[in-house]
Amino acid sequence: MKMRLILASVFIPLGIIIAAIPENTTKPFKLTAEELLDEVKDGTQFVSTDELADMLVQKDPSLQLIDVRSQAEFEKYSLPGAINIPLTQILSDEYEEYIDQGVKMNVFYSNGNLKANEAWMLTRQLGYENNFVMQGGLNYWAETILNPQAPKSVMADDEIAKYDFRKGASAALGGGNAVVTNTNTVKKTKPTIKKRKKKKRAAGGC
Amino acid sequence: MSEVKKTKYFNPYIGGVLLGLVLLAANFVSGRGLGASGAIKSAVVSTVNTVAPSHAENSAFYKNYNESHENPMKSWLVFQMMGVLVGGFLSGAFAKRLKFKVEHSPKITSKRRIIFAILGGMFFGFGSQLGRGCTSGSALSGMAVLSVGGFLTMACIFGTAFALAYFFRKNWI
Amino acid sequence: MAPLIVNEIISPDTNLLIAFLIGIGFGFVLEGSGFSSSCKLAGMFYGYDTTVLKVFFTAAITAMVGMLFFSLFGWMDLDFVYINPTYVTSAIVGGVVMGVGFIMGGFCPGTAFCAISIGKLDALAFIGGLTLGIVFFTEGYPLFEEMYKANFIGTPTMNELLDIPRGVFALGLILMAFAMFWVGEWAEKKFPREEY
Repeated sequence: MKMRLILASVFIPLGIIIAAIPENTTKPFKLTAEELLDEVKDGTQFVSTDELADMLVQKDPSLQLIDVRSQAEFEKYSLPGAINIPLTQILSDEYEEYIDQGVKMNVFYSNGNLKANEAWMLTRQLGYENNFVMQGGLNYWAETILNPQAPKSVMADDEIAKYDFRKGASAALGGGNAVVTNTNTVKKTKPTIKKRKKKKRAAGGC
Repeated sequence: MSEVKKTKYFNPYIGGVLLGLVLLAANFVSGRGLGASGAIKSAVVSTVNTVAPSHAENSAFYKNYNESHENPMKSWLVFQMMGVLVGGFLSGAFAKRLKFKVEHSPKITSKRRIIFAILGGMFFGFGSQLGRGCTSGSALSGMAVLSVGGFLTMACIFGTAFALAYFFRKNWI
Repeated sequence: MAPLIVNEIISPDTNLLIAFLIGIGFGFVLEGSGFSSSCKLAGMFYGYDTTVLKVFFTAAITAMVGMLFFSLFGWMDLDFVYINPTYVTSAIVGGVVMGVGFIMGGFCPGTAFCAISIGKLDALAFIGGLTLGIVFFTEGYPLFEEMYKANFIGTPTMNELLDIPRGVFALGLILMAFAMFWVGEWAEKKFPREEY
């Protein structure tokens, strides 16, 4: 009898607490290796240099460029508005609010695809969304945006339109003389995806 | 509450909290709830496997079961039920309740009680297989994880028992 | 992070050992709460003893609140906890059949094991009946297969079905449980029984 009241005074406040606070939905390693592989296959993480250049020219406020190269490289050259989060520090707490958020579109870039892709993969596996990779990295950026090759006159109209856009973007984004060191990129180290067994719900029932 | 003191049972709310903690531990460690009827099913299947292996191979149920379970006796529920026997015995020993007897209402004979126990067991055993679990496996564990099936089964078990209580009152009161 | 077995913190064999230990706790609590007595169990349906209701619902809300808080603190990933699948037809039919068995036999499988461990012979008969019932099901499986698999709706939870947050449903269940406890204690006073 008395016990019921004691229990009620414990459980009802607990129930109110649990009802009042939102559910904890952030879980480490949200994606299984298979799910991640599917996303990699589809290439949904890539943003083309043209799209990026367009966003930069438009000064799209939702864009957040993140340079995952070392600080020295970042200081030497970086894209306008980019912040520097070296790959080695991508999981440190001080950058978490940049990477795990639902407002801005984060675009990782490095010299090639490699480091940016690794950064994306790490964050994606943590279940973070809104992170993307600049396709081809700074090398491709230099090739297509900063020093665009003029298409031959026989090419289709849209190729010429693309060139014109790139030329304009190049002027706007300070192209023409940028020096991108061709050092690291696609060399050696294969991206190592940490292998995880697919988790299953525990079996149960009677 | 006076009868609780007399029989030295736990206060039901304390017992409930303790049982809840056991269930929580099962979910925390093994990601699953408690159960009872599944252990008997394992025993039935392994008996059939041993006694009539050819029958087990030809019958759809045993075949499915053996394909999905390597060794029916090496299952979580079987070990858990062995624990229940030990735990129940310990508790009974501490409370000095160990005694061979047929418990029944003074108004009915032991024979009648045994017959109804067997019949009830048959219904319960069959129902537990159809309902994918008994009161512990489906209703209690299902309710703790908010499973719709758990609530449905719980409501049906207790609802039916309440509805039929009148017809079987002579057995109990 | 829990569940430990899913995250491979413990091995499958350790899991079986844990199952044994959890079983000891389960049996101890059931017996200690009086679930080894069929008269006490049946008292639930005649109002003279609502121990079953109290223990059952207190256990359910304790485990539920525990899991919700563990999930909140990030100690446990509820996505990997087994949720009983819902087959509407078989849950209802099975539940009704079990209800018949409950009122006739006075036990459920877990409590019967608990009762046999302290020497109740009616529980032994009940377990014999259980075995027969299960054999009846496994032997006649092709007959019941259609019903067994009918109306499968996945593994929904109550809060998903009602489309309300998990915590709100939990609070509702807690309040409902205490309301039932209150009714139960009222019934115990109304239908008292001295000796059983």
